[in-house]
Amino acid sequence: MDQAEVNAEVTGLTARNSDAEARRICIRFREVTHRFGPRSVLENISAEVHTGQVGIITGSNGSGKSTLLRVAAGLLTPMAGEVEIQVDGRTLCPDDRRSAIGLVAPDLTLYRELTGAENLSFFARLRGIDPTREMLIEALTEVGLRGRGRDMVSGYSSGMRQRLKYAFAMLGRPPILMLDEPTANLDVEGIAMVERVVAIQKARPDGGIVLVATNEPRETAWGIPLIQLEATR
Amino acid sequence: MSGNTAANSSVNNAGISVGNQAAVKAANWLPQAIALYKKDILAETRTRVAINSVGLFAFASLFLLTLATRGLGEVQSIRILSLPLHGITLADVEKAQIPAWTGPSKLGLLWVLLCFAAFAGLAHGFVHEEEAGTGTALRLTMNPQAVYVGKLSFNLTLLSLIAVLVTPFYMGLTGMHAGAWPAFLVVMLGGCLGLGSTATIIAVLASKARGSGALFGAIGLPIIVVFLMLLLNAANTLYNAEATTMRMVQDFGGLMSFGVLLISVSAFTFKFVWEE
Repeated sequence: MDQAEVNAEVTGLTARNSDAEARRICIRFREVTHRFGPRSVLENISAEVHTGQVGIITGSNGSGKSTLLRVAAGLLTPMAGEVEIQVDGRTLCPDDRRSAIGLVAPDLTLYRELTGAENLSFFARLRGIDPTREMLIEALTEVGLRGRGRDMVSGYSSGMRQRLKYAFAMLGRPPILMLDEPTANLDVEGIAMVERVVAIQKARPDGGIVLVATNEPRETAWGIPLIQLEATR
Repeated sequence: MSGNTAANSSVNNAGISVGNQAAVKAANWLPQAIALYKKDILAETRTRVAINSVGLFAFASLFLLTLATRGLGEVQSIRILSLPLHGITLADVEKAQIPAWTGPSKLGLLWVLLCFAAFAGLAHGFVHEEEAGTGTALRLTMNPQAVYVGKLSFNLTLLSLIAVLVTPFYMGLTGMHAGAWPAFLVVMLGGCLGLGSTATIIAVLASKARGSGALFGAIGLPIIVVFLMLLLNAANTLYNAEATTMRMVQDFGGLMSFGVLLISVSAFTFKFVWEE
C-alpha cells in the first residue's frame, strides 16, 4: 500500500472525527502458557502492544499463533498467565472485552443458512446496535459485497466469506482488531481492502490496535514484530 | 494502492462501522437473548433440521406405540367374586393392576416418547453451532447468560410446539383422557419446562465434548430419570380422584420446581461449560 495514499485516507478520517479523543489502549501478555493434553503450545509468552501499533505474531505452522490470538480474544483461558486489555488505564472485564474486539480467523464462521445482510444484522444487534438498511448496505459495500447482501452465505465463495468476516469484525468499530491469516482466500482487491482496514485502524484518532497472526512476508511488514513463536513439543 | 478510490473513501467515511462510537461497553444480555432466539427461529424455518428430527421421531414413535398397545385395554374394575380365589389375596389383585394401561402409564409413556424426541432434535442447537464454527462468533459477541436464555427459549418453544401437536393425536390413538384440564395443563407445562431445561444444558455439554446424539442421551440419563420420576408422581396424582390438595401442590409443584431449579442452576453454571 502506498504510504501517501494511506496518509491521505487517515487525514480524511481524522477530519471527520476531529472531535474524537485518542484512548490509551494496551494489550499485555503476561507469561501466557497453554497446553493441549501433553503438548505444550505456548510457554511463558510476554509482550505488550499499545495504541496505534500493529503487533505481528509469527511462527511456523502449529507454533500456537491462532491459540495465542484466541487467548487474547478471551475465547480460550490459558493454563497459566493472562492477557490483560486496558483502555485508559482501566482493565476490561470479560463483557467489555467482547465489545472491544473484532476478530477475523479461519475457524470463525458466520451462519450459512442466513444471508450476508441477516448475519450482519444479527451480530449488530448482539453488539447493541440497531442496524438500518443503509448501515448494512454501507458495511457490505466497504468489504466489496454490495449487491450480495441478500444471498445466502452458503452460496458465497471462500473469498466472499472472508470479506463478510471483516464486515462482522468491524461492527461497532471495536478499538482492537485481531486478524488470523488475514488475507486467506482473498483476491488482490480483497488484500487491498484488508490493508486499508489495518492502516485505518492503526491511525484511528480515537485509538486503535491491530494484532496480526501470520507467516506471509507481505503481512509481517504491516507492523512491528511482537511475538515470534516456535513450535514446541 | 491497488484498491479503488471510491471504496477507500467509503471505508473512511464509515470506518467500516455501524455506529460512530467505538464500543467498549457490553450490550445488555436480554436484547442479545432475544436476537439469538429470533435468529434460531429464522434459521429453523429455513433448514427445519430440529423440527424435522423431533417431529419425525415423535410421530414415528407414536405410530409404533399405537400398534404395540392396540390390544391393551384399560382396567376399570375387577370382579373379585368371579375370580378363583385359591391363594389369591387382594394385594395380588392390586399388584396385577399396576402394569395396566391406565391414565398415569399412558401419560408417562407420552413423556418418554417426548423425551426421546427431544433428545433427537434439541441437541441440534448447540452441536450445530460447534460443528459449523459459529460458536466462536457467539462467544466473541454474546454474554454467556444471553446464549443460555436464547437457546433455552428456542428449545422450550420447539418442545411446546411438538407437545401441542403430538398430545391430541396421542390422546385420540390411546384413549388417554386429560382428567382435570387445569391440572393436566400444569403437568404438561411442568413437563415441557423440565425437559426443555434438561435438554438445553445437556446439549451444551454434548457439544463441548464434540459429541453426538448418543452421547447426549448418555449424559442426560441421570437428570432425565429424576425428571420422569417427578412426572410420574404428578401423573398419578392427576388421575387420582381422591388426591388431596396438599398432594397436588406437592407433586405438581415438585415437577415445576425441577424445571425452575434446573434453569436457575444452569444459568449460573452455563458460563463455565460454554467458555473454553
